[in-house]
Amino acid sequence: MVIQALLKRNTYYDSITLMSVIQFVKEQTEVDDAGAVMATGANLALMEQAELLPIAFLAELEKSPGPEDLLISIRASDEAVAQAALLFAEQKLAAPAKRDVAGSVSTPTARSLEMALRHDASANLAVISVAGEHAWLEAEQALRNGLHVFLFSNNVSIKQERRLKVLAASKGLLLMGPDCGTAIINGVGLGFSNVVPRGSIGIVGASGTGMQQLTCLIAAAGLGISQAIGTGGRDLSEAIDGIMMRAGLALLARDPQTEVIVLVSKLPSKRVAQALLAEAAQCAKPVVAIFLGKAPEEFGTVGGIIKLASTHTGGAELAVSLAGGDHKRVPGNSALLELESRLAEQGASLAPSQRHARALYSGGTLCYEAMLLLSEQVGAVASNIPLHPQWELAPHEMFRGHTALDLGTDEFTRGKPHPMIDPTTRLHYLERAAQDSETAVILLDIVLGFCSHPNPASVYAPVIKRVRNEAQAAGRALPVIVSLCGTEGDPQGLSAQRAALEAAGALVFESNEAAAFAAASLVIDTSDISQAKGGSHD
Amino acid sequence: MTLILEALDYSRPIQPLFEQATRAGFIHSIFPKALNIVVDDSLFVLLSAELARMPNSARLPASIMEQLYAKLSPGAVVRVGDGTLSIPIRDLSMHLPDKAGWEPVPVIAAHGWRHATVTRHAHLLARHLAQRSQQDGLAPLVKPLLLHQETRETPLAKIALPLLRLLLQASRERDLANVEKAARGLAGLGPGLTPSGDDTLGGFTGVLALAGSQSGMDREANKHLVEVIANAAQPRTTLLSATLLAHAARGEMAEHVGELLMALTLPGEESATVLQAAERVLAYGACSGGDTLLGLLLGLQAASIDQHVARAGTSPAPHW
Repeated sequence: MVIQALLKRNTYYDSITLMSVIQFVKEQTEVDDAGAVMATGANLALMEQAELLPIAFLAELEKSPGPEDLLISIRASDEAVAQAALLFAEQKLAAPAKRDVAGSVSTPTARSLEMALRHDASANLAVISVAGEHAWLEAEQALRNGLHVFLFSNNVSIKQERRLKVLAASKGLLLMGPDCGTAIINGVGLGFSNVVPRGSIGIVGASGTGMQQLTCLIAAAGLGISQAIGTGGRDLSEAIDGIMMRAGLALLARDPQTEVIVLVSKLPSKRVAQALLAEAAQCAKPVVAIFLGKAPEEFGTVGGIIKLASTHTGGAELAVSLAGGDHKRVPGNSALLELESRLAEQGASLAPSQRHARALYSGGTLCYEAMLLLSEQVGAVASNIPLHPQWELAPHEMFRGHTALDLGTDEFTRGKPHPMIDPTTRLHYLERAAQDSETAVILLDIVLGFCSHPNPASVYAPVIKRVRNEAQAAGRALPVIVSLCGTEGDPQGLSAQRAALEAAGALVFESNEAAAFAAASLVIDTSDISQAKGGSHD
Repeated sequence: MTLILEALDYSRPIQPLFEQATRAGFIHSIFPKALNIVVDDSLFVLLSAELARMPNSARLPASIMEQLYAKLSPGAVVRVGDGTLSIPIRDLSMHLPDKAGWEPVPVIAAHGWRHATVTRHAHLLARHLAQRSQQDGLAPLVKPLLLHQETRETPLAKIALPLLRLLLQASRERDLANVEKAARGLAGLGPGLTPSGDDTLGGFTGVLALAGSQSGMDREANKHLVEVIANAAQPRTTLLSATLLAHAARGEMAEHVGELLMALTLPGEESATVLQAAERVLAYGACSGGDTLLGLLLGLQAASIDQHVARAGTSPAPHW
């Protein structure tokens, strides 16, 4: 390892800028650690403690650094990497200043709801993402000010959630959340969201990445989204009684831009789902309902223009058809046929010990869907969000047989960014899964769009390539299957991400259902994956 | 043609700078919503009206600040005095409005901090701070310092934790040598233009300066203690930090911090208001808000012990 540094005399950047630049630098391949601090005596001691003190660099300076100087230090695998990272940091630091000098108008900062309303009294929606168990306070304040609420925060009790939703409903407002990951309102993405065209399909969803998957599959078929309203994952529970799902349904039923409505939730209360379907049956517009974990047959005959699906892909195909599009353009299970020979080839190269699928997900709903599909094919799937209590992983267990992990749950994200933003935790699990001689296939989701990692393929592709090579050297094949959720319009670009992942040897599917079937095909006896069933049902 | 501006408001402590004979200074640093100016050894800041007032600020409309940011650079010469700030390179001058300056010392004395209520609010705030995820700076140390919980061991935590323990203990015991030792170690420590250690020291000294003035404590000893901290930090950190610490030692706090300290006078059932005020503090900077809140809570701890000592003596002191 080498340490390279840069000293900028009498130079000041605000701390948010400095910390975000250093975070970017740390994410560069082969950069071990980095720091940027005012060069006070205490901070030089801190740099020493962090093994970032550039001793040789400081010794060469004519004048010692002082508190008014900015010191940037980088520890990397070699000098070239460190120098490149320093240059990168300098460019990043210079970028905001240039942009502002050019005269662009910066977004006003509001430190409170009152201040935000003073800036723009016409605002009618509050995005709340404060940490801690008191997020409900801000949400209630916003509702009482007549604002719809997108509540990104979690840690809101189910009792508070019900109270807030009753309040919202009484005022004719939406309370999207808590723990609402995504929404698209009047074409504007909130939270984790993808760049999709405006169109005629409206979605109300109690599932974050599930809604992202739906909007991306619909966009791939050339259709667009009128509104995508999140409700928070517990909305169809007995306690919440679908208050916001019903409010969203009513809004979309009245919305002139919406011609087809999609409702999506994982594991709803059967009673609540049935009541929702009864309301949907009164709607003059066609409705597609996707209830993950509930077979359409459970609901018997439903009235109105309602179609039931059990997977996101199946639901997207139905919605596209109903909206006048070509459902064959939805990237679905046909991709399995296209990759059949490669799957068969990789399956044939597995060692006898390789018997288990290891799914490492960042999206909770996508993980849940994959588990449902995998378990239909292979039986028990151990997990931290198990389908059955007996399939729950013990605290000390990383994998047990077929395993699917939702790495976005609180246990993995406490004090850390979500894995859709920060890949560190998942890379650790990926390495461990790859080293396990029982692993037959690794299944990952990579979700693109706003708020997600700016270039996930740049992080995952080198690791995928390396672990596959290491497995090969050890006499094993190591298929890696990626469920890639995104669009060409996303900041990361779908094609570029796909190309980088495929170049590393990954098999990439845009349908999570297809990705799960592909993984299952490598650990079940039958090789006839073309019989993998679709998920739609009238 | 000279562009003449009038500030929307100003903080009382900067008034003497404008009243003295004109002196030359320079632009120290500039951000989209803040422009720091140094005259002699004093630093004051022109702020966008969108931001909360600082103890050394004058505020201008946001649109004016955006123009200044686009047109000015650090190092540009300014002149301050005889009622005016002028920036010759842009042919611009600004004067303070003809009204009283904003007072940055929160009027705690008029309301009083009740020991039991403040203790309750402080415990709530400590747990609130501990629950915040993705924290940098010193805020995570609230867990070992005030809640007997473990936290992640980082290089910053390794250095700062023993120093903060020393600061708290030495302040309770009026051990000025060790207070100075702790302040020397914390000054200029950590990320940010106002390093984390300074923000924490600022919160700590601010509370002691305010609490000491009304609690029956030895006012002179208390004043001496906060001056020791500010003087120890002054040569060891950035000018901006040192300036704010000097204000804190006089009980002069930023508006959002003062609002939180005032909220502590509210009854226990007003915890929602206290938490909302804390959120406004926490929203400040990348980690400055959390660092400051930690300092406030440690200061309340130190003052609380002093109160017990005072009660045991002759002072009736029903309040802090």
